[in-house]
This record gives sequence, C-alpha cells and structure tokens, in this order.
Amino acid sequence: MALLANILAWEIPWTVGPGPISSVLVNKYGSRPVVMVGGLLCCLGMVSASYSTNVVELYLTMGFICGLGLAFNLQPALTIVGKYFYKKRPVANGLAMAGSPVFLSTLAPFNQFLFNTYGWKGSFMILGGLLLNCCVAGALMRPVEPKASTESKNKVGVRETDSSMEKRPKKLSIWEKINKYLDFSLFKHRGFLIYLSGNVIMFLGFFAPVIFLAPYAKDKGIDEYSAAFLLSVMAFVDMFARPSVGLIANSKLIRPRIQYFFSFAVMFTGICHLLCPLAEDYTSLVVYAVFFGLGFGSVSSVLFETLMDLVGAQRFSSAVGLVTVVECCPVLLGPPLAGKLVDETGQYKYMYLACGAIVVLASVWLLIGNAINYRLLAREKKKNIHTKESQETEPLKTSQSPNVNIKSGETETWKGTEVNPSERETNI
Amino acid sequence: MRALQGLPGPRAPSLPLLLLCFLAAVRRSVEHGLSTAAPFTSLPVQEEITMTKYSNLSLESHNISVTAAPFTSLPVQEEITTTKYSNLSLESHNISMTEHSNMTVEKNITLERPSNVELTCQFTTSGDLNSVNVTWKKGDTLLEDNYLVNATGSILYTQYRVTVIDSKQMGSYSCFFGEKKQQKGTFNLKVPEINGKNKPLITYVGDSVVLMCKCQDCLPLNWTWYSVNGSVQVPIGVPVNDKYVISGKHANETSLKIMQLSEDDQGTYWCHAIFELGESEGHVELVVLSYLVPLKAFGAIVAEVVLLVTIILLFEMYTQKKKKPSDDGKEFEQGEELKLDDSNGIENSGPRHRKNESVGQ
Repeated sequence: MALLANILAWEIPWTVGPGPISSVLVNKYGSRPVVMVGGLLCCLGMVSASYSTNVVELYLTMGFICGLGLAFNLQPALTIVGKYFYKKRPVANGLAMAGSPVFLSTLAPFNQFLFNTYGWKGSFMILGGLLLNCCVAGALMRPVEPKASTESKNKVGVRETDSSMEKRPKKLSIWEKINKYLDFSLFKHRGFLIYLSGNVIMFLGFFAPVIFLAPYAKDKGIDEYSAAFLLSVMAFVDMFARPSVGLIANSKLIRPRIQYFFSFAVMFTGICHLLCPLAEDYTSLVVYAVFFGLGFGSVSSVLFETLMDLVGAQRFSSAVGLVTVVECCPVLLGPPLAGKLVDETGQYKYMYLACGAIVVLASVWLLIGNAINYRLLAREKKKNIHTKESQETEPLKTSQSPNVNIKSGETETWKGTEVNPSERETNI
Repeated sequence: MRALQGLPGPRAPSLPLLLLCFLAAVRRSVEHGLSTAAPFTSLPVQEEITMTKYSNLSLESHNISVTAAPFTSLPVQEEITTTKYSNLSLESHNISMTEHSNMTVEKNITLERPSNVELTCQFTTSGDLNSVNVTWKKGDTLLEDNYLVNATGSILYTQYRVTVIDSKQMGSYSCFFGEKKQQKGTFNLKVPEINGKNKPLITYVGDSVVLMCKCQDCLPLNWTWYSVNGSVQVPIGVPVNDKYVISGKHANETSLKIMQLSEDDQGTYWCHAIFELGESEGHVELVVLSYLVPLKAFGAIVAEVVLLVTIILLFEMYTQKKKKPSDDGKEFEQGEELKLDDSNGIENSGPRHRKNESVGQ
C-alpha cells in the first residue's frame, strides 16, 4: 500500500503537467504534429504496458506515457476546432465532444470481448493499435495557412506593427518570453478568471455522481447488470445530447448569450443531482440517468465552446492548458471526498445533495460573473466605437498597451464579418 | 474407517431382555421422539427413559437391540463407538409436503465434517393419516429402520436419523408418503462444492500463471491438482519439480502456479478437495496463446492506420498543388475570418510573434 501511495504521489504531477506542455507545443508547432506524436505515444505506452511485469511498470507505461499522449491529443484537437470554425463553432464543438460517450458505450463490451479472446496482454496491444488511429485524426488536421499575399488594410497595420515590434526584440522581458509559449497573461483576463473559478467549483461535484451511480443503484437493491445499464443509458443519452445542444448553442438566439446557456446547463445538472435522492425504484433511477445524461452532455458540449468564446481562438490553446492544470485539483479531489462523505454518513443521498448544491452554486457564480462580464464588455465596446470613430484605423501605437489595440482590432473584425455584433472575443 | 464391520463387543444378552428389546424395535410410534433429542425406536424402553440427550448414549442397550433389528446404518459396534460421536454437531433439516404437491421436493445439505443428521418430512393431508404408508430410501435401497413416524393433528411427521462419518453415509435420502400416489421428499447430502473458474484463463507462451480453487466456508483435509491427458487425470506435483508450485494461503483455497508456460500446458486442470466425508472437485481451463495471435491483429490495425495517413497526406499534397497555381488568396470564407483573427492575434500578442507560429503550422 505504501508503494502504491508513493507511485500515486509521483504520478499526480505527471497527470497535471502535460496540459501546459502540450499547449506550449501547439503554440510553437501547431496542432498536427502534436496530435500525431500524441497518438504514437499512446500506442507506445499501451504496447509497452502489455509487456510490463509489475504494477510500477504499468503505472509508468499506461499512466505516464499514455497519459502524456492523451494530453497531447486533447489540447490540439480542441484548438483546431476553434481555428477551423467560427460561424458553426458550437456545433463543431458539440460534435467533437460527442466522440467520448460513443466510445464509452461501445468500448465496454468490446473490452470484454478482447479480454476474453486475447487476455489482458493482447488486449493492451490491440488497444494500443486502436489508439494509433489518433494519428489518422492528426493527419486530417491540415494547418491553417494565412495568405501572405493579401494586402488588406488590416494587414498594412500588421506589417507596420511587425516592423515596429521587431525593432525592439531586446526589450522582451522574461515574462514576455514565457508568455510567448504559454500565455500566463490570461490570468488577468476577467472572463477567463470567471470561467476558471466557476469550473473549479463545478468539477468538485461533477464527476462523483457518475462514479457513484452504479454503487448507489446496488445500494438500493438493484442487481449489478441493471446498475451497469444505468450508466449505458446515461452514455447513450449523452451521445445524442452533445451535438444537439451544440446545434442549440449555435442558434442566433443563444450564441450571443452562450455563457448564460452554459450556466443554465450547469444548473440543470445540479438540480438533477438534488432531485436524485427522490428516486426510489429502478424506473425513477432510469429517468434520473436520462436527465443526468442530458445535463452532462449539454455541459460538456459547451464547456470548451464557452472558453473559446471568452478568450478567442488565438489564446485558446494556452487557456486550455492552464484550465486543465487548475481543474485537475477538483477533479482529483472530488470523488474521494464524496466517497468519504458516503462513508461518514452511511447514505448516498447526502453525497448527491452535496454535489447538487456545489454544482448549483457554481452555476449561480457563473451566471452572476458572466452577467457582470457581459455588461462591462458592452460598456467597453461602446467606448471603443467612440474612440475608434474619433481616431484613425491605425491600431498600434507603441506607447499604448497591447490591450487597447486588441479592442480596436476586434471592432474591425466585427465589422468585417457577418457575425452578430454582440458576439465578442474579449481580451483584457 | 468406521464401517459396518464389527468389533466384537461385550454382549450380555438375557432372553427376556432380548424379547423386550425386540418389541421396542418393532414399535413405530414415539411420543417423545420428535420433541426431545430422543433416541431411535430401536432403543429399548429403558433407554428412552434414562436418556434425555442423544449425547448420553449408554452402551448396554444398544448392544442388544442391534442383534435383532436389521439396522441399515448403525450396527452395535457403531453404537459403542457412538460415544465418540457425542461431540458431533447435530444438523436438522425439514421438508414439508402436501398431498397436492406435484413436484418432488428436494433439499441439498452440505456436510463437511462428520455429524449427526436429522431428516424430517412433514406431510399434510386431509385424509386418514394412519392409512398413509411411510417409507424411507437411501438411493434405491429401502431403509428398514432408524426412523420415527408421528402424527399430530392433520400433519404426519417422519424423522430419519443418521450419523454421517464417511462417504458411505452420503447420498440421497428420500421419504415416501403413500402407496399408489407417492409423494417424495429428497435430502441430498453432499460435500461442499469447489469453485474453480468458469471462464478460461488466457495466457501467453513463456508466462507464468496461478490457478486458484476455493470453497466458501470449508476446511478440506487436503488439496490435490490434476491435469487431463486425453481422458486420464494425471496428478501434478507428484515428482516435485520447478515448473509447478502448489500452495494455499488459507485452508479454504489452493493455488497452482505454473511457470514457463508452453502450448502443451493448455487444457483443463482439476483441483480435488479431500474431506472426511468424500471428495469434491473444481476445474479451471487454461488457454495458452502465442504472441503472434494479438500481433497479427495489431499489425492489421497499424497497416490500416499507415494506409489512411498516407492517403490523407497524399490527397492534401495533391489538392495543394492544384491550388497553388490559382494564387488569388481565396481559401475558404472561414479562413478569411481566421486571417483577420490572426492579424488581430498578431496585434494583441506582439511579443509572441504569432505570425511565425501560424505560418509554421
């Protein structure tokens, strides 16, 4: 047990660490190479796991190498969605996130089949091969090349910006150098901070109900297979919920207010958890599983869409890396704490009530925070329009801070596209 | 082995006493028989008065009765030695039947250690109880003696007692009610079951594997392992070698560790648990695969991946070559928006040199 505890203690930094590493790599090299390397790492990890002879080796191979590879897959995939799509980005996000429940529900019986046919060693090897398909996904991620030949007015400004900027490379501080790879200035971003804090609170109570659903059902006297079926129901509903919610989020009505939509989705999930203790028999538990799947799916599908909406496609990769690092703590702490609560009180319903309360609290926090954020942004936008109208379109003055340039650049973007002007990418 | 062979025991029969015992042996009805731990009908009257507990078997009377009565289970020698069984546990089992029950009622009894067993059948009928014929059988053999019949109200009770000491007393004991339309109740006395594994264990050449057998709440005297060669069970570990290691952490489980597996080791392995009352066995199936088996599947998947990646990249190069001649900067509208985004990105992240990054992608 001591050995296991030691392994775990050494393991946790490696689950948390890869997030920013892959952000840095994506910022430098783009999505495609990182995903392909990630796929190769996953495959390597699983195949070497099949040759491992003890628990430590298993942790090293499956935990570390595979984990690194999976982190290398997640970040760039999300980033590239933001780079490819703008008008239909919520739908794209919803569809991209829909992959999880599909594989969750199909891999369970498939794993059983593999295990019965090939044993665990062969299963690891074959799963490693399947993970190699991530490379195929990576190959599809064509890099987005901006055309250097188009000389639009914006570009003129950019050229001048570049030349003026390049004239003073020596004056880059260490902080700015770090920011080049991983944008820590995001921590000054108001929207980002609201998102991060809300999510940290939410994730404390988000995953525990999923993990404890089957034990809760068994505790109520339901047999093993029906209890496992509950999870399948949830995954199945989740599978369809994600793209549909993505579609809803893309609609003209919702998209400008997508942060509110996210808060409401979180609140819906929280209320589901609060009502769960009312479910006494199997049918009501199935109903709960359906609604939970709906809530879980809607939250997951707009989870990263809202982040993209807040920080913009450019800073998204760094944002995702930082968000993953910070969110690791509640995700890791949540289920054990919930388990402790169940052990102390002896009943599952208190755990569900606690998780529901935490999630509802997170949703309220997000709602209020985003309401304030929207209002402040509207105010700033009005100010920018006024200042822009009274000035030239030249965005960059060396004396000005980069922040102001962003806003004027942003207004140009808004005017240049057909986007609903209340849609904004906020950079502070 | 305490079988029905006899030891010459002390006998002091006197004729009147013998006759008395004979009568007692023939008699079937007992008032005390069921409620107290009363002895067999075969015991003479004195026994029934003096003995209140089965554990206080006295020797003398048993001697007499046995010579006359045809016991199927306990001869006199057994009776003497039954004082040894005073510390055996008593197990009681009941079956209830009515005249209308269609199915044969069965009850499975798991016995591990020698014990005294009391089997009771209850028969409820509306008719005349005295006219119902009661018989007991072990397997197909009719049991003549050693059982009591009692009628209370509308329920007919019959009780059979047996001291189980070895495997010969194990088996199926059935009580029968009636002549023409017989109602049957069966007690199956068995040794505890051993659980091996239902699904085959899959291993690879060169690995080592541990096969386990265990039973729930039992303490076997000994465990042995057998492998099957054709249809013959060959014991394992008889010439002790490095390949097989038999061990067990607790008394109720055993494990067989096989090292350096080869494809010849494939097959079914049987574990036998030896009890005082018999043997019980479980089985585990072992499958040994060579590494080539999953490797083929893996290779197929890798080939598919390489093929797909190559196709995608080739297609991309092909379309890019097509596009390069038409250099009018019209990729796709989203790209334009992204370009504008990119330029904004450059503006807002001057020190980060975003443009280099986007070109590099």
